[in-house]
Formats: sequence, C-alpha cells, structure tokens
Amino acid sequence: MHDEPLLSVSNLTVDLLTAKSAIRPVDGVSYTVRQGECLAIVGESGSGKTVMNFAPLGLMPTGVTTQLSGSVRFDGHELIGLSEPELQHIRGKSIGFIFQDPMSALNPVRRIGRQIAEMAELHLNMTPRAAEARALELVKLVGISDPAARLRQYPHELSGGLRQRIVIATALAGEPKLLIADEPTTALDVTVQAQILRLLKDLQKRLNMAMVLITHDMGVVAGAADNIVVMYAARTAERGPVDKVLVTPRHPYTRGLINAIPRREDPIGSEFRGLPGIPPTLGAPIKGCAFAPRCDLAIPACTGSRPPLVQSVDSSVVVACPVVNQGRAAA
Amino acid sequence: MIHFISKRLKHSLVLLFLASVVCFTLVVSAPGNVAVLIAELRGAVAVPGYVAQVEEEIGLNKPLLMRYVDWLGDAVTGDFGISYRTGQAVSADLPQRMMVTGTLIAGSAVIATLLSLLLGFLGAFWPYKLPDRVSRGLALIGASTPTFFVGALMIYGFSVTFQLFPSFGFNGPISWVLPWLTVAVLPAAVLSRVVRVGLEEAMTSPYVLTAKSKGLGRTAILFREALPNITPVFINALGTQVGLMTATGIIVEPLFAWQGVGDYFLAGVRFRDFMVVQACLLIFLSFFIVVNLIVDLAVLMTDPRIRRQWS
Repeated sequence: MHDEPLLSVSNLTVDLLTAKSAIRPVDGVSYTVRQGECLAIVGESGSGKTVMNFAPLGLMPTGVTTQLSGSVRFDGHELIGLSEPELQHIRGKSIGFIFQDPMSALNPVRRIGRQIAEMAELHLNMTPRAAEARALELVKLVGISDPAARLRQYPHELSGGLRQRIVIATALAGEPKLLIADEPTTALDVTVQAQILRLLKDLQKRLNMAMVLITHDMGVVAGAADNIVVMYAARTAERGPVDKVLVTPRHPYTRGLINAIPRREDPIGSEFRGLPGIPPTLGAPIKGCAFAPRCDLAIPACTGSRPPLVQSVDSSVVVACPVVNQGRAAA
Repeated sequence: MIHFISKRLKHSLVLLFLASVVCFTLVVSAPGNVAVLIAELRGAVAVPGYVAQVEEEIGLNKPLLMRYVDWLGDAVTGDFGISYRTGQAVSADLPQRMMVTGTLIAGSAVIATLLSLLLGFLGAFWPYKLPDRVSRGLALIGASTPTFFVGALMIYGFSVTFQLFPSFGFNGPISWVLPWLTVAVLPAAVLSRVVRVGLEEAMTSPYVLTAKSKGLGRTAILFREALPNITPVFINALGTQVGLMTATGIIVEPLFAWQGVGDYFLAGVRFRDFMVVQACLLIFLSFFIVVNLIVDLAVLMTDPRIRRQWS
C-alpha cells in the first residue's frame, strides 16, 4: 500500500456555467481508488456523483462551460488542466465507461461488432481483422451466447441485459486500468441487475482493474464495493470501507439512506421510510451543513459553517457532521 | 423486399387513375374553350358556326364520360392524344422534354445534396460559431427568396455582369449550370437545416456520449456516429424536395427557355390543351411515385430498425 493509488481525487470542485446560471454540482470532494479496488459513490439524483466522474474527463454536454479546481491524479498524471485532445487519448484507452441506459448508449444504426472493434483499432492499433477477432473474444468474455452472430446484429435486436453486456465489452476493448460505471444496473430488470453486477465484479477481479461504481442502490454497494463515498448536495457526507459504513453508518444522511431500504420484517402494506424533505438546489451556496434542514439531530452549530470531514473513532471512516464529530479535530 | 415493391406499385396504379380523374375534371371545368382558341389561331373565330365545327373536329361535343374513357383507353397504350395547340402527338413531344426536365432535376438534386451537406456539416462542426451563423444565414436567405427572383439574380450576376454562363438555352453542360443552381437554392437551404438540426440532435444523444467516452474524436463522431443516424431523415427530406422540383421546373424552364415538361405544361394550361396538361400531370405524378418508392427503399437500406421488418 506504499505505492500511489491509481486514481486520487483531492478537493475536486466542479462549476457548471451556462448562459443563464451557474451551479456547483461537486464541492471539495476527495477520494482514492487503488488498482483492483472498487469504490462505490452513492447519493440521490443531482448529488453530483455523475458529474464528479465525467467532468474531469471532458464528458460534459456541449453548451456548458465546465470549471474544475482541485486535483485528479490518474496513473501518475494530473488530469485537471489537460487539453481536450489529451483527455481524448485517455478516454477509452486507460479509462473505460459504462452508462446507465444500454438502450440508448449504443448507436442504433451500426453493427455491434463495429462498435466494439473500433475501440481496438483506435487504442490497440489493430487492423480491422484483428479488431474483429478481439471483439469476438470480448463478447465471449462478457458471457454472451452465440457471439459471432451477435457481432453482426444491431443494438435493437438485443435485450437490455445483452446490450449492457455489449456496453461492458466495448468499455473493456481498450484494456482500461479503470472502469467508471454510471448506474450500470439502474435501467435493467431486477433479475438481470444481479447478473450484470456479478459480471462486472468478476471482470474487475480477473482483469485486476479499478472500478468506480456510481449508484443509488445500497444493495449494489454491499455486493460489489470495497469503499464507499456518500454524496449529499455536491459534498461528501461520509467516506470509508463498505463493511464499516454500511454496518455502522455515522452520518445522519447515511443512516437515513440505509434505514430507507425496505426490510423483510416490514409488515405488508407498511409505508416506506423515506427521508423527509428534498435536497437543496445547488445554485445558492450553502453556508452550513447541506443536510441540516432535513436532519433530526441538527444543532445550531450545523448551520454556522461548513462541517469538515473528520476521522471517526475508526480511523478509516471520515464523516462531515458537527454532531457526530463533537470534540474531534478536523482530519 | 419484392413484396414491398409490388405492393407499392399496385397502390401507385390506383393513385394514378384517381389523379387522372381529378385532373380531367379540373381541366374541363376550368373557364375558357379550347375550340374558340383554335378558331382564333386559324383566324376564323368570326365565321358563324366555325367554333362548333372545331368542337366536332376535336371531339369536344361528345359526352364527358366518353371523352374521358377515350383518352384513358389511348393513354394506357402510351398514346396521349394530339396536342390541340400544335397538332402534334403528345407522345412524340414528351421524350425530348422529359430528357430536358430530367437533366434539370438530376443536376439540381446533386447540387442541393452536396451544398446542404456542406452547409449542415459546417454548422454542426462549429455550432453557434461563425460558420454556423453563416450557414444559418444562407439557409434563411435561400429558403425565403422566390425561385423566379433567384433565377433573375443568377442571370444578372453570372450571365450579364460576369458573363460566365449563358442566360438561356439547352446546349451542353455550360448552359445547364444556371438553371441547376436556380432550382437547387431552395432545396439546398431547406436540406441544410435538416442536416444541421439532425446532426445537432444526434450529437447530444447518449450514443455520442458513449462514442466520446471511447476516445473518438469530433470528426470521427460526426461522420461515423451521427451521419448514419441522420441518413434516413435526410433521404426522406431529399425525396420531398426532388419531387417539388417538378413544380419549380414550371417556373425555371421558361425563364431559361428550356423546352422541358414544366414549360410544356404551362403552355398547355394557357391553351386549355387538355391532352398536354393531362399527360404532364401524369408524368409529374409518376415521378413523385417513383421518387417516393426509391426513398422508401433507400431508407430501408440505411435504417436497420426498419429493414428487418421487410426482409
């Protein structure tokens, strides 16, 4: 553990500027991912979990100006400040991406084989023939039956689960060191979700890749991740090893999230235990703890200044909560 | 595929028949009398009973239904009757005129396609930047300038001022340039917007984000990912525009003194020359039908989502 982590994000802040508005969807976030490790990033919609992974790699919609500050070190190189051509070189080759909706992530009018093979041509300098062979290999790797026929098909001819396997195969085609999966199971049937997750986990282990798993499904986190970052309103609420954070959540928001999972012993017809209230908008700066208005435990100190991330009793877990951290110094 | 084409052709025959009925009705119910015009032409309009004599001569005194059935019976054998104005067989005039109009439409279609792709791609490659604004401005001007005025400008600019191309006549490629450009302006303007808007929509789609995440560059994404997706839409729009070129030809052919089908049609309408009008309309309509069929087949080829339903 003396070597530098594969991905090391520190104090990353992202500002998105459009013609009319400016928002800060990511505010001072830090985490690291080592080779072979899986980090889960959880949070509600709009908590910044997708933006913090996509923005540093230039994957933002056109028409939005993205301003980054802080540091994102990947494989010994600083990503922030790189030009678009330099980022383009990293995307696909060193970092593979998996998207939420496999129904729309594949080009509907191009054959699946081409969509996978062009990755190998681009990043591994393969001839079209060799790339086709590699595509076949990859399709086998992601566990698709009748692989040769699949390569000649178009995305609309496959089911959602198969398409997500194709998306995974595409992401793997450049032999990436890091896989960023943005809610890879959200758009799939429940039965397929488990298969895809198992596949991802298995591939990650076999290919010894690092993986960032963006999700809002605590079940996915428990099954796949080593570490977890809990995001709330652009900031990190809690960060630590999964087995610790899920078993003894410290931040009231993490506790609320875990408490909201339906349990087997819940009586039939009982109401969901959701979190009361709605998350804040990201347009206006929040002075204190962003979660304070929804928090049962809030004390006056919560609204005064932004709570720092502080090591808890367990030194591997950091929490940003003035109540939990009473009497402790900032990490 | 064969099934698809034969089904479409059967529909087309019904369409052609109905169109000929409508067209016949319109022409016979229009004001004016071709017999009077013929009498005038022969300088005998004042002779008592001469108009009635002409009517009998060309069969205008027969019942309407019989006139129609006579015409239809001849038409299916390729005989479109005798032009009242020139006294020549319509079917003898048609091939040369169809060749002229075909030249006009084919050239204009190619120019419109190339021009619109160029303008559309310029706009999509530098969205909201100068090339996009120029392309947008040209499209606006091109789409809102009437064709007869475009033709006049072409003649004034390229023929009168710079003397690059002849202002009239159908004598080889040099003389084709101005009519081609004139007809191509409006479709090129409309189609460039189709390309630009289609590409922009494609460029914001999730599969383009995927392509970006794969490390593809902008040019590769535009041509490999976005272009195949807008091809079916573009072909559809192009088909409509090419069909409409028959109408533009009616204006542009006389402007450049081209003896095409549009010019023939216009002369026929002026003279209440039912035979000519009817034949021209059937040609226009057949052209529309064929273009639409080609468009549908081309879309079938370019969009795999539709292709599987038919093959």
